[in-house]
Amino acid sequence: MKNEEAQIGTLLANLWERSLPTLHERLNILDRAALEGISGNLSETSRIEALNVAHKLSGTLGMFGRHQGTEIAREMEQLLSAPIPAAALPRLVTLAASLRQALFPN
Amino acid sequence: MRRILIIDDEDDIREVAALSLEATAGWKVFTASSGMEGLAVAAAEQPDAILMDVMMPEVDGPATFRKMQQDPTIAHIPVLLLTAKVQGVDQRRFASLGVAAVLLKPFDPLTLAHQISEVLGWSED
Repeated sequence: MKNEEAQIGTLLANLWERSLPTLHERLNILDRAALEGISGNLSETSRIEALNVAHKLSGTLGMFGRHQGTEIAREMEQLLSAPIPAAALPRLVTLAASLRQALFPN
Repeated sequence: MRRILIIDDEDDIREVAALSLEATAGWKVFTASSGMEGLAVAAAEQPDAILMDVMMPEVDGPATFRKMQQDPTIAHIPVLLLTAKVQGVDQRRFASLGVAAVLLKPFDPLTLAHQISEVLGWSED
């Protein structure tokens, strides 16, 4: 099992590096949706795009050992699954920032 | 050697699942990035099982599964649905389609083959 673990660990590390540009694009989409939401301009198109991104992230981040990222993305997916009440919009902004921080801590 | 088809529109998931099954269990893995491509690969390769994402653009997992059930050349192949939906109600809805199992994403690459073997009653010798 040790060799397999090492082999999979190496593949995951390489794949993570390779997927960084896509990951940054996805985080930007979530940030944009959160900012549009807080300024009262979140369109249905942007909400659904962000919902799809959150769904993809919730299904993939844990595979790379980023379990906290999966949990945050899951909460974002839940929040984005229907038009968001104004009172919940600050939470979306917080989650978008937390997700970025969890994946790329300063 | 077991032969398994992975159908998922996410490149990362196909790649990690394929390497995981090859490295930990020595299985032969085929991949497809859409439901329609998956139907064609399943018919051509006759895998022992199919691991398929639920949410895919155009033809999603449940719709692809229904098409598989209508094709006598592949209807016998067990299908495991992969979903990131954690709510029990969603999982029960998918299970009620008649699939062999519903597995949760994200999966652990080190234990995915074991999980599939357990569900399908395959020995892991």
